[in-house]
Amino acid sequence: MKIKILLFVLLAMFQFAQAQKYVSKNGHIKFFSHAPVEDIEAHNNQVVSILDPATGDLAFNLLIKAFEFKKALMQEHFNENYMESDKYPKSSFKGKITNLDKISFEQDGVYKAEVSGDLTIHNVTKPVTVKGTIEVKGGSVTASAKLIVSPKDYDIAIPSVVENNIAKEIEVSLDATYTVN
Amino acid sequence: MSKKATYILVFILIAIGIAFAVWKYTFRKSVTSVISKKAEIETTAAAILLEYETDEASANFKYLDKIVEVTGTVESVKEDSLSVTVYLKESDSVAGVICSFDRASLDLSGLSSGSGVRIKGICAGYLIDVVLNKCVLLPVM
Repeated sequence: MKIKILLFVLLAMFQFAQAQKYVSKNGHIKFFSHAPVEDIEAHNNQVVSILDPATGDLAFNLLIKAFEFKKALMQEHFNENYMESDKYPKSSFKGKITNLDKISFEQDGVYKAEVSGDLTIHNVTKPVTVKGTIEVKGGSVTASAKLIVSPKDYDIAIPSVVENNIAKEIEVSLDATYTVN
Repeated sequence: MSKKATYILVFILIAIGIAFAVWKYTFRKSVTSVISKKAEIETTAAAILLEYETDEASANFKYLDKIVEVTGTVESVKEDSLSVTVYLKESDSVAGVICSFDRASLDLSGLSSGSGVRIKGICAGYLIDVVLNKCVLLPVM
């Protein structure tokens, strides 16, 4: 049901998108876990993001299963044991740029952006504040940011056997290039 | 050959066999296996999108985690250092199918906006578009 609502909201946003919204359908999110035993890295190239330059509203949506690992077994564990992606297939962020007055989408430049909102992972929603950059160049807009996510905060249980394989704090970096819809 | 040498040889062969099995297990469902496996379902980009738009749950039941082959029209190709994303979309539709390729495994020649393609990959689900991962480009029939 929640997904239906989310989809409805997304579709509704699409309708409003006529009024100059920026949309990115193949944003990239990478996460990196550095632990004593191994480093783990995964990429998702199909992140959907919508940015409203007038209000500063910013949303990200992604499929957990779209994260790709080097080893298929890691990907399987990630989906089945940790993220339970059959039960919780999506992850999202919904927030606002809080320093919108310092960013001009009309003028080329690199701007520092502060964003706060709600991050939902593994069906747990937590408020987050993220510092990132927005680059405006010849009409195209690129957003990038880095944040730290602790699996524990999102009720992701990591068994003690693999404690040394998975970092307590995971570095998530994102970049998305938007086109005007 | 002495008996001892035969035993050692057999032991080495078994060890290699086990190592290979472990390797196979660890890397299964990797790009190579998508290349070698036949698609479980064949469809068109428009049809799979329509199924997801109508009923996501039943479409997930049918396609999720399976190797799906889609035929469609390329709208755009985006590259970065690790991967290539090919976006299939028909001109009269707002959404489409996003196909993600490993950078190394794709020959980009012949991929241009408007051209027809056949792609197989593992279906990861649906956001606004249907998402296929670990894709392989197939010759157009």
